[in-house]
Amino acid sequence: MSSSYFRTTSPLTRHGFGAEWRAMWTVFWREWIIFRRYPSWIIALFIWPVIFPFVYVFSARALAGPDGSGMALFTRATGTTDLVGYIAVGTTVWMWQNVVLWTVGMALRNEQTRGTLESNWLAPTWRFSYLLGAGISQMITMAIFIAVAAVEFGLFFGVRYQGNPLLVLLIFAAAMPSIYGLGFAFASLVITVKEANAFVFLVRGLIMIFCGITFPISILPGWMQTVANWLPPTYIIHGIREAALNNANLAALWPDIQALLLFGVGWLIIGYSTFMWMERRARQTGAIGEY
Amino acid sequence: MTSLSQPSWASHARALWAITRKDWLYFWRYPLNALSLVFQPIIWLAPVYFMGQVFSTNGQAQGFAGFSGSSDYMSFIILGTALNNFILVVFWGMGYALKNDMDAGVLESNWLMPVPRLLLLTGHTFTSLVTTSLTSLAIILLAALFFGFHPTGSVWSAMLTLLPMLFGLYGFGFAFAALVLLLRDANTLVDVGSFLVQSLSGSNFPVTALPRWLLPISLALPLTYGFDAVRGWLLKTQTLLPIETEIMILIAFMVVMLVFGVWAFRSLERHVRQTGTLGQH
Repeated sequence: MSSSYFRTTSPLTRHGFGAEWRAMWTVFWREWIIFRRYPSWIIALFIWPVIFPFVYVFSARALAGPDGSGMALFTRATGTTDLVGYIAVGTTVWMWQNVVLWTVGMALRNEQTRGTLESNWLAPTWRFSYLLGAGISQMITMAIFIAVAAVEFGLFFGVRYQGNPLLVLLIFAAAMPSIYGLGFAFASLVITVKEANAFVFLVRGLIMIFCGITFPISILPGWMQTVANWLPPTYIIHGIREAALNNANLAALWPDIQALLLFGVGWLIIGYSTFMWMERRARQTGAIGEY
Repeated sequence: MTSLSQPSWASHARALWAITRKDWLYFWRYPLNALSLVFQPIIWLAPVYFMGQVFSTNGQAQGFAGFSGSSDYMSFIILGTALNNFILVVFWGMGYALKNDMDAGVLESNWLMPVPRLLLLTGHTFTSLVTTSLTSLAIILLAALFFGFHPTGSVWSAMLTLLPMLFGLYGFGFAFAALVLLLRDANTLVDVGSFLVQSLSGSNFPVTALPRWLLPISLALPLTYGFDAVRGWLLKTQTLLPIETEIMILIAFMVVMLVFGVWAFRSLERHVRQTGTLGQH
């Protein structure tokens, strides 16, 4: 066979931006079809935003007392009279990170348990596109979830938004890299250690304890405040509360945005590096097919 | 000629022991899960604890006392969380007891055993009651360490009051297990159902803090009186009704739920025999 044969025939696949984009789109579309296949998941999108804050909202009302006398203490500590809005923002951010951990974080593990990860791994595409596709699908689902939550808080709990919606969206946009970067790192770790539950419980537990989902972090002891300052959800919750409930301007929100962007860059690097490490390790040890 | 098996009380007792022991071994085979059952509720208590600090002066939540008769909101909530553990286990553990056997591929063969089929669920109940009592006790002890727990009343009276509530709850679990087996994909139903029941029965706050339109639903749940009576004995909080009346409600709940649970289970058994759906996922 002459060497010209190899020069003239085209390879089995052609790499390029278009091919990578199609692979990502395919993963996204498959995830979207799976999501629509289960009506109970769609129903959950409408139910959870209302019932999850429920316990904290009524616990807070009980703490405020029948005559609402405790509200003065709450207002002094938080700077807002909107008890429900304050809690609803915290619980929504917690739910966002929680769902990302269970979905994006489990994306590769689900492929592994279905038995399709190894064959997908052989596809001539950039392997990170599996995670990106799953991440984009999840972003759309969560955008619907957060929009539903915002409407339902207004309808059922009487929350009134006073801020600039564009600034609220800006905080959400600034929050995405850190939320999804953590999800990517998580997905890569889970494929290696196999057991996700304990890790999800740990990460969401940290957010619940330190990030002030129902209280201002100024009430925490000093060492806990230091830990809180290293967790991105602290800034997301604070930023959204300020933007949506306290009508803060861009200058007031800038410290939160700045912190979120820095954390975002860090978590995206960690997420991508962890994925590359996992991918290399999987090739060397054959761990990709192990349960 | 003898039959392959000779059912008797002794063989039933052996089957019951085998199921109980199997579940016991299974529970301790996954120590991280057991730890998670204890630590998860503690983590969920943290936001309420710190939120309570916001509403407190010198550690006393006077507003809360207006609803419950006690400013010790953490003892109120810790007790609710420990009892709530039983609700979660009945929904997720008992509710999925038969479904898990189905997923493991052993339900059909278990169904062929020469023992009353109700024993399959009764065996699950025994282990579940013991392991949940242990984890609930661990929750109270750890929460006492982190947040403080100050019971001032009678522990024995509280425990005696708890018994009809738990039997009633597990009777409900029999019926719920049958429903989950019929529905198969019931995660959202179980998730939302358990969350609403535990919230509306006042596991985390006095139900009198609910708005008027939700209060009747809460008062219609017998578990509300269970939580209330146990807190009344142990923490000396204001009860919704006289404690004796609440105990009578719990005893009626127990009888009704046990009868209903057995009936629902037998209906399921007849249904799957007629339709042959026991092995279908």
